[in-house]
Amino acid sequence: MVSDILRVRVIELAARFNGEVEENLGELELTVDGRYILEALTDARNFADVPCDFLHDLCGMDLGDHLEVVYQLSSLRGPQRLRIIARVERDNPVINSVTQIWKGSDFLEREAFDMFGLQFRGHPNLKRIYMWDDFEGYPMRKDYVIESHEQRAVMRVRKEGE
Amino acid sequence: MMIEGTQEYSLNMGPQHPSTHGVFRMVVHLDGEVVTKVEPKIGYLHRGLEKMAESRTYTQFIPYTDRLDYLAGPHNSLGYVQAVEKLMDTEVPERAEYLRIIFAELGRIASHLVMIASGSLDISGWTPWSYCFRDRERILDLFEMTAGNRMTPNYFRIGGVSQDVPEEFMPALKSFLEDMPEMIEEYYGIFFGNEIAQSRMKSVGILPKELAENLLITGANLRASGVQYDVRKAEPYGIYDRFDFEIPVLYGCDTYDRHFIRLLEIQESKKIIEQAYKDIPAGPVMTKVPKVLKPPVGKVYHRVENPKGEMGWYIVSNGSTKPARVRIRTGAFVNVQMLPEIVKGWKIQDLVTIFASMDLVLGEVDK
Repeated sequence: MVSDILRVRVIELAARFNGEVEENLGELELTVDGRYILEALTDARNFADVPCDFLHDLCGMDLGDHLEVVYQLSSLRGPQRLRIIARVERDNPVINSVTQIWKGSDFLEREAFDMFGLQFRGHPNLKRIYMWDDFEGYPMRKDYVIESHEQRAVMRVRKEGE
Repeated sequence: MMIEGTQEYSLNMGPQHPSTHGVFRMVVHLDGEVVTKVEPKIGYLHRGLEKMAESRTYTQFIPYTDRLDYLAGPHNSLGYVQAVEKLMDTEVPERAEYLRIIFAELGRIASHLVMIASGSLDISGWTPWSYCFRDRERILDLFEMTAGNRMTPNYFRIGGVSQDVPEEFMPALKSFLEDMPEMIEEYYGIFFGNEIAQSRMKSVGILPKELAENLLITGANLRASGVQYDVRKAEPYGIYDRFDFEIPVLYGCDTYDRHFIRLLEIQESKKIIEQAYKDIPAGPVMTKVPKVLKPPVGKVYHRVENPKGEMGWYIVSNGSTKPARVRIRTGAFVNVQMLPEIVKGWKIQDLVTIFASMDLVLGEVDK
């Protein structure tokens, strides 16, 4: 059940950023190019009557030919729900950080960086959060090879003289 | 402000430390015994559940969901199975819906009891700890007699629950509900009304409302900062819209209120279970679902109110037997971020109390 007023606002927003609006299973979804994400989220946050001002979730997604950043918006004061998807290139996954809008997106962006290698421009402390610092590769990408237990080099081999 | 001739030093707390309730590490920067900065370090319990989900079928992933918040197993699986059911448009039998609510709310009570218990233990209150664990044991017994497991029951299935409850379940549940008012009075008397507990916790670690919203804090921690928001009311899932219950809210924003709101929530959960106990119909507990589940292509985002905060399940199906993506948004993971904001200026023993009041469980933080 998507309210009509929210649908109108989202269609207006999509027209400004050349985005696509989809609706399935009662959820409204807006897909935009990664370049416009900061403007799109700021606008969604300030929608008149139906502000989507709470970032519920932020996650990465691997589609094979490109990556996506998925933002799940909601509000603490109303029933409005919105999903905004930002498309980014696979080879150069740079997107603006939203930590200036929601301070709490800090960890969520670090996780997306850790798992998908998404580079958040303007993030204050973009470091791996779950994996160790010298871990190589981005485990949640579809082309990441899961090695068998025997092959896995979890133990660091000591260099000579260490 | 540093006194002349002294220097700041950093101290590692954890990952193996009794007050961090699991494998959580924090680098604490100290000026004497006053905390100037805290850096949380997580990932010691990271099992890669999201990656695992992609190589398992929809049904095979249910036992893993119990291991997220292992103190309240049923509610995690509830979120997952309901998300998949939404994707497949499956109807769940009435009796199963009621059993799910009973189990989920019993899990919430068990989780909050552990929180109150460990919170009191962190300020050296051993007796409240033993009271809470004594009563939690009865909930775990109820899980055990139904599903065979105590903390991770693996009871819910896509389309219902695995089996009906045994004969002795309902009388045991009834006697537990009857004893609850007395238990709550006991916790209040020995812990919340205690002078030492109050002076250690009141006005310690203030999390103002605006900061909490900006940090995306959810669950009981948000409600203790004066925001009356609960997914069970705002966006009722399952059959939560049939029950009459309140959302407790406190305005103190401090460590005491974050503990006390759990006690109030236990009372509301009790109300829900009592109504479910009264109304539960007879009938089947599992609907007919195909042996091999193949949800249609689509995406779904499903929110549930976990005891530790809001949990979100974003499931993307590509039409095959395995999900293309399972994203788990856990409340505790986001809630960790409040720690560095609210401990500044407090002493190291207050850090332990403040940490306990956040109610983190590392299974949920690290996924």
